[in-house]
Amino acid sequence: MSDLSGASRPKLRPGCRLRESAGDSDMLLIPEGALRLAGTGRKIVERCDGRHTLDDIVRELNAEYPAAEPGRIETEVSTFLERLLQKRVIDLEP
Amino acid sequence: MTPLSLIAEITHRCPLHCVYCSNPLEMQAREIELPTAAWAQTFQAAGELGVLQLHLTGGEPLVRADLAELVAAGRRAGLYVNLITSGIGLNPVRLTALTDAGLDHIQLSFQDSQEDEANLIAGTRAHAHKIELSRRIKQHRVAFTVNMVVHRRNLERLEEMIALAEELEADRLEIAHVQYYGWALKNRDTLLPTRAQWERSLAVITAARDRLSGRMRIDFVGPDYYAKYPKACMGGWGSSVILIDPAGRALPCHAAGSIPGLRFDNVQERSLRWIWEDSPAFRKFRGEDWMPEPCRSCDRRTQDFGGCRCQAMLLTGDATVTDPVCTLAPRHDLVEAVIGQIGLPPHGDGNWVYRIDPPSLVERA
Repeated sequence: MSDLSGASRPKLRPGCRLRESAGDSDMLLIPEGALRLAGTGRKIVERCDGRHTLDDIVRELNAEYPAAEPGRIETEVSTFLERLLQKRVIDLEP
Repeated sequence: MTPLSLIAEITHRCPLHCVYCSNPLEMQAREIELPTAAWAQTFQAAGELGVLQLHLTGGEPLVRADLAELVAAGRRAGLYVNLITSGIGLNPVRLTALTDAGLDHIQLSFQDSQEDEANLIAGTRAHAHKIELSRRIKQHRVAFTVNMVVHRRNLERLEEMIALAEELEADRLEIAHVQYYGWALKNRDTLLPTRAQWERSLAVITAARDRLSGRMRIDFVGPDYYAKYPKACMGGWGSSVILIDPAGRALPCHAAGSIPGLRFDNVQERSLRWIWEDSPAFRKFRGEDWMPEPCRSCDRRTQDFGGCRCQAMLLTGDATVTDPVCTLAPRHDLVEAVIGQIGLPPHGDGNWVYRIDPPSLVERA
């Protein structure tokens, strides 16, 4: 569907950013809306900086959650990034 | 219940004279506009209430020299800051100042894809500047939306307008049919599209969304006179939006001032929390207790909340009845009568009335 691969470097698009103030929950603010981030959402979005590759994000999250089932985090990250791409929240840096 | 958006009408002054201006008929003068510090306090209070998005609008927000300070104040309050503008008064230096202050999103309005037609609607020569400005905006890290207002006179160029937004590399395109309140209601009979035009516009949008999927988001607002059911105006009265007018009065929507008997409290006299939670104006049509039939027993009442109170007021003279655009409304005949007259004399094309500034505000070059 998209060009997302392990080497992709996702980056938040202009006008898309994490909410700074410490609210009740993590929010990703976008033009005319907001997405509530659950689970590992915030940790993934924080790494959408155009430097981390998808593989980097998976590796770092696996290190943070050593008890996660094998493959689970990779699936989560890919699915989540696909959604952000479709919503035009991230671009893939070359 | 938490408000999500604060619409700050920081001024009613505007260099454009659009025939469909959405500001109230009674505009407020420069002399009574809230000062910078009062706006900053209001943004702070909004952030504490849970508001996520701040929309800086007008009039033309750029006529306020303190706009960059207001953007910074919004960011300090933890808000996402969106600027809704005609672009008149925005030069490269000022654009940089705004983005440096933390502006997240800029919505630039266009009146048409063709320069002469656009200038005709705005009553001023603005189109070429907007094109040039769009290219500047793309050099900054800010989300960019192109706003197009459509009506009978420009709908035939809808494909061209979409192509213009693509060419300008907009992240998002908002196409809104004129909504008939305020000044637009005065010009309704020359602006309301025919049913055939409306249906065609829907088909064009659907095709463009398919074609541009994943590249440019298109949001579309229809002319509710042709809807089967009313719009969920403001997501329900007093349920997600607070509008502050230039003088600091808090309203549940842009047009609420047209409803007689409502008192709108001022943020300089009352806390924003009290206004939101307890003020009579915000409670007036909140929830379902106020609803008449057929809304009260209608399954759709939780989706459209009985439609728009201001439209009920403007068309029937009674704000408490079902929005007449609803095909189930007792007074839907009023809307059918309007639609039946479209394009007939004396309401030919171009027979419209420009919005002019109130006498104390006239500033001409």
